[in-house]
Amino acid sequence: MEKYDVAIIGGGSAGLAALKQLSNLRKQAILVEAGNKIGSKNVSGGILYSKKSKKGHVHNVEDVYGDVFLREAPLERKITKYILHSTSKDKVYSIDLTAAHDYESNFGYSVLMNKLNAWFADQAAESAQKFGGGIISGVHVSEIKFDEQRNTSIVKTDELEEFEVKAIIAADGVNSEIAQISDARKKFLPSQLYQGVKVVVKIPEDVINERFSLKSREGVAHLFAGDVSLNHIGGGFVYTNLDTLSVGAVYHFDSLLENPVEPYTLVDAMLKNPMICEFIKDDVPSRRKIDKNLPQEEQLRIRFAITKLIKSWNELRESYFSKGKRDERVKSGKYQSVEEIKEKLDSIREQLTQKYGVIFVTDYVEAEYSAKLIPDGKRCRMSKPYHRNILFVGDAAGRGIFVGPRIEGINVGIDDAVRAANSISRAIDKNNFSSDYLGEYYSSSVEESPYTKDMKQIDKDYLKIFLDASKDVPKDIISARYSTVLKLMSSDTIRSVAIKFANILGYERLLPMVESEDTYVKVPIEIAERLGKTVSKTYEPTIPSIAERIAKLKFNDDSNPHIKVLKPQSEFMKKLVTLCPTKCYSLENDNVILQHEGCIECGTCSQETDWKHTRGEKGIVYQYG
Amino acid sequence: MSELNVAVIIKLEPDFSEGSVSYNPDGTLNRAETKNTLGPHSTIAAHAAFYAKVMYNARISIGTMGPPIAESALQMAQRLSDAEELHLYSDRIFAGADTLATAEVLKTGIEKMQGKMDIVFSGHRASDGETGQTGPQTAWKLGFTFLGNVIDYKIDIQNRTITAKRLVRLQGFSDVVEEIEAPLPVFISIDPSYKPLFNTISQRLAFGKFQKEAKIRAENYKQYLKVFNVQQLGVDPKYVGLPGSPTIVYKVERIPRGKATRQAEVLDGSNPEHIRKAVSKMKEALAAMVIK
Repeated sequence: MEKYDVAIIGGGSAGLAALKQLSNLRKQAILVEAGNKIGSKNVSGGILYSKKSKKGHVHNVEDVYGDVFLREAPLERKITKYILHSTSKDKVYSIDLTAAHDYESNFGYSVLMNKLNAWFADQAAESAQKFGGGIISGVHVSEIKFDEQRNTSIVKTDELEEFEVKAIIAADGVNSEIAQISDARKKFLPSQLYQGVKVVVKIPEDVINERFSLKSREGVAHLFAGDVSLNHIGGGFVYTNLDTLSVGAVYHFDSLLENPVEPYTLVDAMLKNPMICEFIKDDVPSRRKIDKNLPQEEQLRIRFAITKLIKSWNELRESYFSKGKRDERVKSGKYQSVEEIKEKLDSIREQLTQKYGVIFVTDYVEAEYSAKLIPDGKRCRMSKPYHRNILFVGDAAGRGIFVGPRIEGINVGIDDAVRAANSISRAIDKNNFSSDYLGEYYSSSVEESPYTKDMKQIDKDYLKIFLDASKDVPKDIISARYSTVLKLMSSDTIRSVAIKFANILGYERLLPMVESEDTYVKVPIEIAERLGKTVSKTYEPTIPSIAERIAKLKFNDDSNPHIKVLKPQSEFMKKLVTLCPTKCYSLENDNVILQHEGCIECGTCSQETDWKHTRGEKGIVYQYG
Repeated sequence: MSELNVAVIIKLEPDFSEGSVSYNPDGTLNRAETKNTLGPHSTIAAHAAFYAKVMYNARISIGTMGPPIAESALQMAQRLSDAEELHLYSDRIFAGADTLATAEVLKTGIEKMQGKMDIVFSGHRASDGETGQTGPQTAWKLGFTFLGNVIDYKIDIQNRTITAKRLVRLQGFSDVVEEIEAPLPVFISIDPSYKPLFNTISQRLAFGKFQKEAKIRAENYKQYLKVFNVQQLGVDPKYVGLPGSPTIVYKVERIPRGKATRQAEVLDGSNPEHIRKAVSKMKEALAAMVIK
């Protein structure tokens, strides 16, 4: 049997950071990822932060990867504006929360996980190789056997011969199978989770710059609350990426179970909002139906010709509206000048309209639909994130920060990963992998993390910034519901005492008061209606059906389902018929049945199913993530 | 020095995927407008060679005959196989070659590659010619043992032998896998269903390492590339190109569509009424089946 020092299970941003950090410490580690390539199963909102906290040291992404991170990593845009919008129909009231976004922050970049994790993987693999380790993708871990005598673990997979390791880092996400196999924790409950659904919308780079008044490579985050939530607790977001927008909806799973609605309708509600409509609009070629009376070969030829022209037009347009890319085209000698690119673009457009009857309309282009569960660290972080020689990090340990408009996950996972790697490195040096020396050490390191503190307590300085930003909101809207709270928060001294008291009460008792329909739905709607500006839309977006969205995704089909329905008649499963983001469940003769082919592995159904990740290389292959 | 030398012969072929391919109004392929790519079977042959790289640290060479643009196929194949040597046999005189004349060029080229070849891989057939003859003819000219439809192989470096599994399709029988042993050198035409398997962590790590090396090499492919014209290759012009080709394609006809014996009915998937009809038809068909 082959032997290695450390196995990291899961190639998301946390697992990759663990691999890189172990290599930085000159330790041998192998990372095993089920997806056919790194990043193919990762989804995020998402913004990646780097923090400087008063509460202690944070291990940031640039500490792990070095200066090269800011120079070369495929980051989308540096978020320089952070705005919260309250919506009600065509009314929008906006509060600038940039100061809250900047709080204790070195930077925050919008990111797309597929690209970014691939870059992390390149960096980590190169370092790991030097110490006899590396990354192995397309491999699904199915079993871990602990060898009491040798104090090691035997890792079994669906694809490879088993191997032995001294320690394991479980970075296999919110639906961690390792947590289940090892019995380290129970599955997260709906009350501890959020469900996020996102679409990536394509828009050329320069158009984004102009539309959002951004300098090159700068970005903005727009958050939404109010009627876009369709009466659920949570909200929506629009983040600018380099040449795409991430439009998403994130809702408390409990609230979805209480009032089930198809997850995509929550994203659709966002897309239909007049402000967002104007954010996402673009010039879109629309095909006409090909004359069915033509000979079949001719129909096919026309179809292929149009596909090819539209493809060329899209590619060229993307370059034309991006300074970097258009300069590249000219520099490569393919075009003499920028004007020539424009001419070519116009000529393709003319060919499409004149020859093939294609019309250009104002609409939007959706590139990818995705979904994921997000752990609410306030409610579900593991108190001791280890089991024997297995250390849990990031989502797998239930560690995400949800505090009002503050949503962080990637940076938390990276911080955990560094702590796990450091703990294991120390254990390797002393050849001591006992719970006391490894697990407890890691656990206390995580406990000291500022992020853990943020999951446990209200940060009064952050709250002050938030309250200051919303000072223009008339008090009577809020005071009807939160008069006592408001009074307590109105002066600095009382606020400080009140927060201390609140923190003694603890999040468990506070949260039901704060995270309520009032906060996320009713108050924002009232604010929008009373104070909001009217925003009108100039077109009606053609929103694809869920079937069209699934058809656009790339799957590596597996004939064996990776999910087994255990309780086909349970209330929960019946709600899944509505709540599965890709409609994998249907009801037949009062039994819930599964068709797993369109499954995007979000884990929404995992509570009452036998839920596994797909076998190696199988299942969803995201292109953006 | 490597203990195993492997060559791959490949072909640049039209990319038949939607968005790349163009057809003339008469239904024939518009070659000028259609993008080219490494042929799908050549891709599999490159994978098979890469298996030898990962498992036996083989030295890989790739050869192709074609116009100058065919160097893009060599680059693509290098990206897949981590080859250290790329040969392009390119000369106007080679134009119009049939499979036999092509085999003559390839055979001469393979003999010019560095080291004595132990295995030569080819794809099963080309997607534009579909004859499947170039491989076997090259093998015959080289005097190598020919192994067709290979789906797996292992090499005994010390004894210089290969054990290969061949997928044999016999009419009236289900597929049979034949395992054979042969002394090196051999010529392998790889089966379309071939998929290399790497079962241990160390093999996967080697796979990753060489894949990365291949990526870097392919980015600088020109430094591995040698282009040969008829003189440089040293082939007799009588045996190559049009003069060396005993077969000439003088006409391509469309296969006439056979008369349908089934009663087909076209249903529109967006019409709920039609869907109901389809379901009832399926139920009908299922009811008629006897399931044991």
